[in-house]
Amino acid sequence: MIGAGHGLGAILAGIAVLAATSLGEAQEARKSGGTLRAVFVTDPPTLDPAEATDLTSAAVIRQVFDALLELDDRLRPVAALAASFTQSADQRVYTFRLRSGVRFHNGRELRAADVKYSFERAARGKRPWVFEKITGAREVIAGRAGEIAGIRVVDDLTVEIRLDRPFPPFLYLMAYDAASVVPRAEADTRGAGFASHPVGTGAFRFVSWRRDDQVVLERFPEHFRGPAPLDRVVFRIIPAEITRFNEYRAGQLDLTDIPTGQCQSVQRDPKLSGDVAIWPTLGTHAVRFNVERPPFNDLRVRRAIAHAIDPSIIVDRLLERCVAPARGLLPPALPGYNPEVKRLALDRDLARRLLAEAGHAGGKGLNPLAYHFNTTDINQRIAELVQAQLKEIGVALELRRLDWAAHLKLVDQGTAGFFRQAWIADYPDPENFLTVLFHSRNAGAPGNTSRYRNPRVDRLLDEADLMAPGRARDARYHEAEQIVLDDAAWVSLYHYSSRALIKPYVKGLERSPQSSAPEFLSPLRKVWLDR
Amino acid sequence: MGELLRVVAGRVVAVVPVVFGITLLVFLLNAVALGDPARAAMGQRGDPEALARIRRDYALDRPLAAQYGAWMSRLARGDLGHSYHQQRPVTEIIAERAPATLRLALAATLISVIAGVAIGVVAARRPGSLVDHAMMATAVLGISTPVFWLGMMLSLVFAVTLHWLPVSGYGDGDWRHLVLPSLTLGALHTGSVARMTRGSLLEVARQDYMTTARAKGLSEPLLLIKHALRNAAIPVVTVIGIGLADLLVGAPLTETVFAWPGLGRLLVASVGQRDLPVVMGAVLAFALVYVAANLLVDLAYLVVDPRTRANH
Repeated sequence: MIGAGHGLGAILAGIAVLAATSLGEAQEARKSGGTLRAVFVTDPPTLDPAEATDLTSAAVIRQVFDALLELDDRLRPVAALAASFTQSADQRVYTFRLRSGVRFHNGRELRAADVKYSFERAARGKRPWVFEKITGAREVIAGRAGEIAGIRVVDDLTVEIRLDRPFPPFLYLMAYDAASVVPRAEADTRGAGFASHPVGTGAFRFVSWRRDDQVVLERFPEHFRGPAPLDRVVFRIIPAEITRFNEYRAGQLDLTDIPTGQCQSVQRDPKLSGDVAIWPTLGTHAVRFNVERPPFNDLRVRRAIAHAIDPSIIVDRLLERCVAPARGLLPPALPGYNPEVKRLALDRDLARRLLAEAGHAGGKGLNPLAYHFNTTDINQRIAELVQAQLKEIGVALELRRLDWAAHLKLVDQGTAGFFRQAWIADYPDPENFLTVLFHSRNAGAPGNTSRYRNPRVDRLLDEADLMAPGRARDARYHEAEQIVLDDAAWVSLYHYSSRALIKPYVKGLERSPQSSAPEFLSPLRKVWLDR
Repeated sequence: MGELLRVVAGRVVAVVPVVFGITLLVFLLNAVALGDPARAAMGQRGDPEALARIRRDYALDRPLAAQYGAWMSRLARGDLGHSYHQQRPVTEIIAERAPATLRLALAATLISVIAGVAIGVVAARRPGSLVDHAMMATAVLGISTPVFWLGMMLSLVFAVTLHWLPVSGYGDGDWRHLVLPSLTLGALHTGSVARMTRGSLLEVARQDYMTTARAKGLSEPLLLIKHALRNAAIPVVTVIGIGLADLLVGAPLTETVFAWPGLGRLLVASVGQRDLPVVMGAVLAFALVYVAANLLVDLAYLVVDPRTRANH
C-alpha cells in the first residue's frame, strides 16, 4: 500500500526513480518465448479505449495501448508515453513531453496530435468523466464542440493540457485506459471497426478475436521499452467458473480465478495450495439507502439498520475469510485509507431503541421493507443473511432481485430505497470514492445514488479535492468519511480481494490492487514463463 | 412437386405472424420492463449529457412505436440493424455465430437419433424384460439430468482426469472439441427418441401386416427394417423435429459450460448488455430455425408416409 502522505514532488521524483527501475528490470535474467494462456469470464464488449467501461476490455486495452503515464504495482504514476512532464505553479497546466521514436503497431510514429485526437475522441465515448476536468471538455462531451479547447499541441512531441481548476488526481487519469493514445488515421479509417481491430503502441499487438472464444495478442518487437519476453498472449473466454477451474487443473490455463466457495479448499489442496494468490483490491461491497425516500429519510431508521447488520458472518461464512471485513468506506488498499475509521457497531438493543424512537417499535409501520439487489448467487445469499439479521430487530425485508441493468435503472431513478451497490475505484484516490459517491453535485446516476446531501461533507470534499496529496488532504477525507458513516448513508460489508490461481512458472505478474482475477490489469510485458 | 411447394409456401406465410409476434414481445419486454441500453453501456457512472448523446446515437430518444416501426422496416429490407456494443451489423454477428450452434445442434441431433433409436429398438425387442427396464431407465435419466451437471461430469471424467478430450472451447473447429458438448446436448433428447421409438415399435408389432410378414417367413432383422421401423418412424420424426427446438433451448447452457461460441451465448450476453438489436436478431434466428425444423418434419412426413402426400 502506498504511504498516506506522498506529495506531488514525491510523485515526480518517483517517476524518475521508477523509470530507472524499469531499465534495471530489463537486465534481469528472464526467459523469452512462450504463450501465456489467460482467461476472461465474458467476451470483452470492445477493444476501443473510448468505448470500454469494463475490466475485461481494459485488461486487453492495457496491453495493446499505452497512455501518457501508467500505474506501477504500488499504484504510483510512472512514465509511459510521456518521458517527462511539468506542472504550472497554479496546478492547472500540465505539459507532457513525449518520448521520441515511439511507433504504433502499423509503423507510424507517435505525435502529440495523436494525444489530442485520442482525448477528444474518448471524451465523446463512454467514460467522458476522465476528461471533464480539462477546460472545454464539457462542450465536447455534450456534443457542442469538436475540439477540447484546453488541449494544445505545442510541437510534435509536446502537448499541453489546461484544467478548469487544480485537480491533484489528474495524473491518475492520465494513466487510465480511457486515456490510451490511438493513431488518428487508423481510428478514423476504421470507424466503429476500430473496436475489433485495435492499433496502439502497446507491448503486444492485436492478432485476432473470435467472439466469445478467444482474443490473441503477439509481442510488438518495436515497443519503446523493448520487446516483451512472451511471444503471445491468448485470452480464452470461459463464462462458467467451474469450467475455468477444470481448464486450469487440466493444465490448459496458466492463471484463473478461484471458484466461489472453494477459497479454503484450494488452500488445503496439496496440488493447488502453492498456486493460490489472494490480495486486496480497491472495492467495497455495501448496502445503501436512498436518504430522500421514507422511511430512510429518518436518520434513526438508517442507523437502526446499520447497527443490526453484522458483516462478520458474511465474511466468515459466505466468503470464507478470503475478503476483509469493512470498517469504513475506503478499502485498505487505497491510498488515504484511515485505519482509525469506525463503523456503526453491531448493537441490536440500540437498533431496537432507535426504531422505537422513530415510531417503528418492533418494525411497526415498516414491514415489509423492499431490499433491491442485482442477480448473482453471492448477492442473493448476502441478501438472505441481511434479511435474517434485520428480522432480529423486527424488520421484515422483502427481497427483490433484478438483473444488473434493470437494478441500475431503479437505483438511478431513485425508486429503490434500500439496495445493494458496491464501488470499485477507477483510480487510487479517495476523491474517486468519497466525492463521486457522496458529494451533493453527484446525486443520482453520476455516483451518489444515496442522494446524500450534507453541506459540511461537500465543503470537506471540495477542499480536499483541490489539495495536493498529504496529511491535510487525508484528514479532510477521513472526517468526511466518518460523517457519512455516522449518518448511515450506506453500510459497508466487506472490501474486495482478488482470488487467483497462478501457475508457479508464471513470473513477473504484478498483483495490482486494480486487478480482479481472472482479469489482470497489470502489464503483461513484464511477465515471463520459467519452464 | 406441387404438394411440396404448397407445404413450403404455407410454412413461409406462417412465419410472418410468428416473426411479428415474437419480435414485438421481445421488443416490449426490453423497452418497458428492463433497463436502459445507454445506461447499461456506461457502467456505474452515468454522465447525463453523455447519456443523452448515446440515446440519440442509439435512436432511443424516439417513441417506442417509432423505434419498433423502424426496426420492422429495416427487417423488410433484410437489415437487422447495428449492435449497440459491437457497433457492426447484427446480420454479420449472427452469421459469425450460427455455424457453431448449428454444428452443435446437428451433432447432438445425430447422437440422439442414433442412440435413441438403438435404445428404443433394443428395449422393444423384449418388452417388460430387464433389458427393457434398463434401457428405459437410461432414457429417463437422459431426459431428467440437468445439462449443466452432465456437462461438468463428462468434462471432469474425460478431460480433467483422463485427458482424452479438451475441457472446453471451439479449438480450430476439430471434432475433438465437439464431442463433449454434443454428447451433453444430445443426452437431453436421446431419452425422448428412445421412448417414442420403443412405444411406436410395440404399437406396430401388434398390427396385422406384421403378423402376415412374420408368417411369410421374413427374418427378424428384415422385418424390423422393412416393416416395423418405417411405420414406427412417423411419431419418431415428430419427436426429432420438436427435439431440435429443445436442443436450441438447451444450447445456451451447453454453450456456457463448454465455452462454445454459439448463438445461445450471444443471446444470453446480449440480454445482459441490453444490446437490443442483437437480442431481436438472435431471437428471430431461433424462431426461424424452429419454423424450419417444423417444415422439415412436414417434408419428412411426405417421404415416410404416402398417406400424407394424398392428403396434401
